[in-house]
Amino acid sequence: MAPFVRSFRGNIHRFLIDVQILQYLIILVGLFNLSLCLYEDQVGKFDWKQNYVGKIKFASFDTVSAAKKIIVATEENVIAALNLKSGQILWRRVLEKGYGGRIRALGGVTDGDLVSVSGGVPAIVRAWDLATGHILHEWPIAEQNHDRRFSPFISFSTLGLYSANRIKDVKWHIKDGTLHHILPIYNSAVEVTSYDSKTGDKLKTRRVSAPFITQETECVLAAPYLACLKGDSSLAVLLLVHLFDTHSQPQSVTINTIFGAGAQGPYHLESVLGEEPIISISADNNQRKRILLVGEVPVPIQRDIVGDAALYVVSVDNEKILLETTYKNGAKIVASELLTSKPMPNISTSVTHNSLLSPTIIASVCPRQTKGVTCRHLLASEDHSVALLQHNKLIWAREEALANIVAVEIIELPMSDRDQEIETEFDQKERDVLSMMFRRVGSQLKQAKTFLQSILSLTPQQSNQRMDLVRDKFGLHKMIVLVTSAGKLYGIETRKGEIIWQLRVRGIRGFSKRSDAIILYVQRGSRHFPYPPQCALLAEDKVCIIIIYYHQFDQTGEGIVYTFNPITGQPLDGLVKLGYRIKQSMLLHVTTDDFLRGILIFDIRDKVHVYPKGATAIAASIAKNTYIFTADQTTGILSGYSLSYSTSQELISHKVWELLLSPKNQRITHVVSKNPIERVHSQGRVLSDRSVLYKYINPNLVTIVTEGVGHTHKNTLNLYLLDVVSGAMIFSIMHKRVRGPVHVVHSENWIVYSYFNEKSRRTEIASLELYEGKIQSNTTVFSSLATTKLPIVERQAFIFPAAIESMRETITEKGITSKHIIVALANGGILELPWMMVDPRRPINPEVREEGVIPYMPEIPIHMDAIINYNQSVFRVSGIHTSPSGLESTCLVFVHGLENYNCACNTMFTDLFYTRVAPSKTFDVLKEDFDYYLIVIVLAALLISSYITKKLASQKAQKQAWK
Amino acid sequence: MYKSAIFLLFIIVSTSNKYVTAENDEDTSTDLYVIEGKVFPWENGASNGWQLMTHVMANGGEHYGFLREDGTFIISNVPSGSYIIEVVNPNCVYEPVRVEINSKGKFRARKVNLIQTSQVIQVPYPLKMRPLTPFRYFQVREQWRVTDFLFNPMVLMMILPLLLIMIIPKIMNDPETRKEMEQLNNFTNYNMPEMSEVITSFLSGGEKQKSKAVKAAKKRQ
Repeated sequence: MAPFVRSFRGNIHRFLIDVQILQYLIILVGLFNLSLCLYEDQVGKFDWKQNYVGKIKFASFDTVSAAKKIIVATEENVIAALNLKSGQILWRRVLEKGYGGRIRALGGVTDGDLVSVSGGVPAIVRAWDLATGHILHEWPIAEQNHDRRFSPFISFSTLGLYSANRIKDVKWHIKDGTLHHILPIYNSAVEVTSYDSKTGDKLKTRRVSAPFITQETECVLAAPYLACLKGDSSLAVLLLVHLFDTHSQPQSVTINTIFGAGAQGPYHLESVLGEEPIISISADNNQRKRILLVGEVPVPIQRDIVGDAALYVVSVDNEKILLETTYKNGAKIVASELLTSKPMPNISTSVTHNSLLSPTIIASVCPRQTKGVTCRHLLASEDHSVALLQHNKLIWAREEALANIVAVEIIELPMSDRDQEIETEFDQKERDVLSMMFRRVGSQLKQAKTFLQSILSLTPQQSNQRMDLVRDKFGLHKMIVLVTSAGKLYGIETRKGEIIWQLRVRGIRGFSKRSDAIILYVQRGSRHFPYPPQCALLAEDKVCIIIIYYHQFDQTGEGIVYTFNPITGQPLDGLVKLGYRIKQSMLLHVTTDDFLRGILIFDIRDKVHVYPKGATAIAASIAKNTYIFTADQTTGILSGYSLSYSTSQELISHKVWELLLSPKNQRITHVVSKNPIERVHSQGRVLSDRSVLYKYINPNLVTIVTEGVGHTHKNTLNLYLLDVVSGAMIFSIMHKRVRGPVHVVHSENWIVYSYFNEKSRRTEIASLELYEGKIQSNTTVFSSLATTKLPIVERQAFIFPAAIESMRETITEKGITSKHIIVALANGGILELPWMMVDPRRPINPEVREEGVIPYMPEIPIHMDAIINYNQSVFRVSGIHTSPSGLESTCLVFVHGLENYNCACNTMFTDLFYTRVAPSKTFDVLKEDFDYYLIVIVLAALLISSYITKKLASQKAQKQAWK
Repeated sequence: MYKSAIFLLFIIVSTSNKYVTAENDEDTSTDLYVIEGKVFPWENGASNGWQLMTHVMANGGEHYGFLREDGTFIISNVPSGSYIIEVVNPNCVYEPVRVEINSKGKFRARKVNLIQTSQVIQVPYPLKMRPLTPFRYFQVREQWRVTDFLFNPMVLMMILPLLLIMIIPKIMNDPETRKEMEQLNNFTNYNMPEMSEVITSFLSGGEKQKSKAVKAAKKRQ
C-alpha cells in the first residue's frame, strides 16, 4: 500500500504543476479566442440586416415568366428582381463597383431573357436567367479598330480618353435577341453594330450617313430612329435617322411644325419611356412640351403638355396611351389616347402617399383582364424611393434612399413617461423640505390616478410617442439617425430595424468639395428632459438654374443649417440659410443654459459664426482655448486658426500656422481625427519589468494621408501626424510602391491603416503607437502648447489576407473595454479584429515575453468565428458607425454602404447591418445563456442535503449517546 | 503531361484572343483577356441557388465573374497583370488562386502565398475552385453533460478516494481477505488515516468535505 500512497502523493504534486500549466493554457487560449462571441442560437437576436438595390435606372415588368416580377437595374450597379406583390427582393446581382460596373442598358425582358450592358470600354454584355438570376452568357463587346480612323476630331490615343468622351454618346438597343451598339461618328455617320445578345457574334455593321452630328448635337434614341436636335433658336431642326436602313436619308422636322410659331428656345429633347418610338421636345424654358411620334412619317401631336410632367406611353389593346404624371401634394397620373388626346378617366389615377415625391413612371403595364384594364405603374420618386401603384392604390414602397447614406448618428431614446415624472420631481432647484414633500405627495397621487385609470381601462394616456420607444436599462435600444444623399432623413430604431420616421429636406446637397458629405451634429441629447433632443444638419444649398441646354447647378453652394428632433423626426427651426459658404465646422463642447451645444461655423472668408446666435457668448467665453484647422484638398494647404482675439460679442479668427503639402507631389486623401466622445481609461502600459510606459494621448492629433501624384511620386503613400493646435509635425512616414484603397483608424494613442502593397501584391495593415516614455509630462491634462517632447513611435506592419472595404474602431462608454477594429471585407464579411493582433509592440524575438503581448506573426489570421455577420454578407461597405451603449462591455455597430469615388461622385449600393459586439466579452452583465435552472437546482440540492445531513448527524449523536 | 499543359495553354490563349480588343495596335499592354474556370459546390450542401450566392472576385472587387448554372465562370475585360481570384460564398471556404497574365497573353495560375511571394506552386488553368470546408461562424454552446462532469479531474480526485474509503472497509469485512489484510495491516493501518488527511487537507471544499467528514466518522465506528 505504501508505494501506492507515495505515488498518490506524487500525483497530487504533479497535478498541482498541471494546474499551473493549465492556467497558462487557459490564458493563452483566451488570448486567441478573445473575439469569439456568437453562438448559433443568437442569430438575429440582436442583429438585423436590410437589403436595398439603390436608385432605379431601368425597370421592366416581367410578364413572360410564370412568377410575375419586376426587373430593375440601378445606379448602384445592381440588377435585381422584385416581387410584384410585396416588393421584396427575389434575387439580386451586384456588379462591379463604380465605373467598371455601371449599367448602360437593360433589355430583352419581354422576350423572356434579360440582357444587361455594363462597364466602360469595352462594355460587358451579360445575359441573365429571369427566374433565378443565374448568368447565362457573358461576353465583352469587341470594339472595332477602324472606328477611330474615321473620326479625325477625337483622338483615341488612350483608352481613358475614349471612355470618358464617347461612352456617353453610345446608345444601346436590345430587341429580339439582338444587341445594337449605336455610335455616332462626328460629321460623318452613325455606326450601328449588331450582335447576337447570347453568343456575342457580330451580326452586321451598318453605317448610316448623318453628317450633321457634331459633338454638341443632342441625340436621343427612339428605336428604330435616332432623333437629333440641331440648332437652338427658332430655326432648330429635328433630324431623324433610321438606324437599320442604310439607304434612307435623314428626315427633318422643323420646330415650327411641332410647336407652331412663337415657341422660344432653348429646346430640350427627351425620349418618352415606353415601347413606342416617341420623343418629347420641351420649349420656353421647360414650361411646356410637345410630343412627336417617330415613324416613316413623323406625326407631331398638337397639344401642349406641362413642362414638369413625366411622360410614359403604354399600350392597351394595341392602342397607345400617354400617361402624364404630375405632382402637387400627391401624384396625379392622367391618361389620354396618344393620337386623339381623348382623356381616359378609367386609367387616370391620383394617389397621395408619404413615400411619393415628384414621381416618374419608369415602367408600366396595362393588361386586359376580365374586369377591365388594370394598370400597374412602377414609380420612382425624386427621393429615390420606389413604389408600385395598382388601381389607385399603393401596393408597396421601398425606401431606396437608404442605399446612399452619408451621415449616421446613434442617439439615446428618451426616458419613459414615468421616469420623466420622477426626473421633473427632483429636477427643481429649491430644496425646501415642505415643498418637496408636497411635490412627492402630488406625484404619488398622480401615479395612483394613472394606475387606477389603467386598471379600469379608462382613456389610455395620450402620448406623442410610441410606448416602446423608451430607453432600456442597459442603453441598448437606441435610435439611428441616417442622412441620405437624396436629402431624406430616417430614424431607425435598433431593435428590429424598423423605420420610425422619415423626413424630407428639399433643396440641400452635400458639400461638393468634400465628396458630397453632409454633416450631422447632435446638439442636445435626450437626457435633458423638458427640452427636446436636437440634431443639426450642415449642408449646401442646392440652387437650380437652367442654362441653355442642360440643367446646371449653380455653384454658389451657400451653407444651410437644418435642425430637427431626432426621436420624432419633427423639424425644429427648419431650414436656415446661412448666406455664406462653409469651410469648417465644429460642435462646441460647452452647452448653453438650455443644454444646447452650439455649432461653430467657419466660412470661406475666415469669419467665425455660431449657430444658434444665442450661443455666441458661451463660445466667446471659451474662445481663448479654441482652435480651428482646415485642410484644402485642391491647394494642399493646411492651416490652423486661433480664436483667442475674440471679444465677448464677436469671434475673431487668427491664423497661427500653415503647412503646405504641395499638390504637385501629393494629394490629401484622408484627414482623420479621433472620435470626440472617446475616453481613454488607462494612461499607460505596464511593462514586464513592472515599470509603466505612458501613452501619448493628444486629443489634437490628426492623421493626414496623402497619395503621391505625378510620375516620380506615383504609388507612394505619405502619412503625417499633425498637432492641429500648435501645427507641430509629430511624425511622418512614407511608403513606396503602395497604393490605395487606404483606410485609417485613429484612436487613443494608436493609428491603424491599411493599403495595398504593389511590390508584394498584397493588402497590408500597418500600425503606429505613440508613447510619451517612462515619465508622463502632465498627469492631469494634455497641452499641445506645453508638450514639446516628441513621442516614441512604435510601428509594425502585418499582412492581411483579404481586401478591406472599411475600418472602424469600437468605442465604449468609459474606454475600459479593450478596443477591437471592425473591418469590412470585400467578400461581404465583417471581421472583428482585436487590436492586440495589430499591436506594434508584438515582439519579433519569441524569447521576449510580455503580459498581453503575443509574439509577432507576419500574417494576421482571419478567424471565421470573428466574422460578426456570419453568412449575412454585406457587400460594398463604405461606412461603419460605432456607438457606446449603456453597458461598458458592449458597443453598437452599424454598417452601411456608400462609395464616394473621386472621379464621378458615384454612390454605391448598400446593405444595412446592425449588431452589437462585446470586445472583452460581456463582463458586466450575466450572459444571456446563463443557466438559472442549474444554479437553482444546485443551491436547492445543497440546502436540502445540508438539512438531511444535519438530521442524520443528530440521530447518530443520539445513538452514540445511548451506547 | 507537360506538353498537354502547354497545349491547353495554347488553346486558352487562342480562345481568349477572340476577345482581345486591341485598343491600340502599337501598345499591346492594353489587350484585354478573359479568365475562366469552374467552381464546385460543397457536395452535401449543394442546395439549389448556390450559384446565386456565389460570385468570383478578382483583386478584391476590381472584376467580377458570375457563375453559370453548371458552376463555370468567366471574368472578362482583364488587362494583363496579376490577379488574386477569390470565390465569394458565405457558406464555404475556397482557396484563392493567383492568376498571372503576362503582356503576351500567357496565363499562369498558382497558389496564393502572401508571405513568400516569389514561391510558385502551379495549379491547373482553367481554374478549378473546390471548397475546402464549410464555414464555421458559430461557437458551439457548451452543454452540461454527465460524462464531462465525471471526467473532470477535480471530481475524479474526489470520487476515487471516496470509493477507496467506502469499498476498502467492505472488503475488510470479508473473513478471508481480512486475514490476509491483517498480516499487511501491521505496516499499513497507520498509513490509512494519513491518506484521508491528505485528501481532506487538499480538498478544502465546503459541503462535500462536510459529508465526507461524516462518512469518515461513520467508518471509524
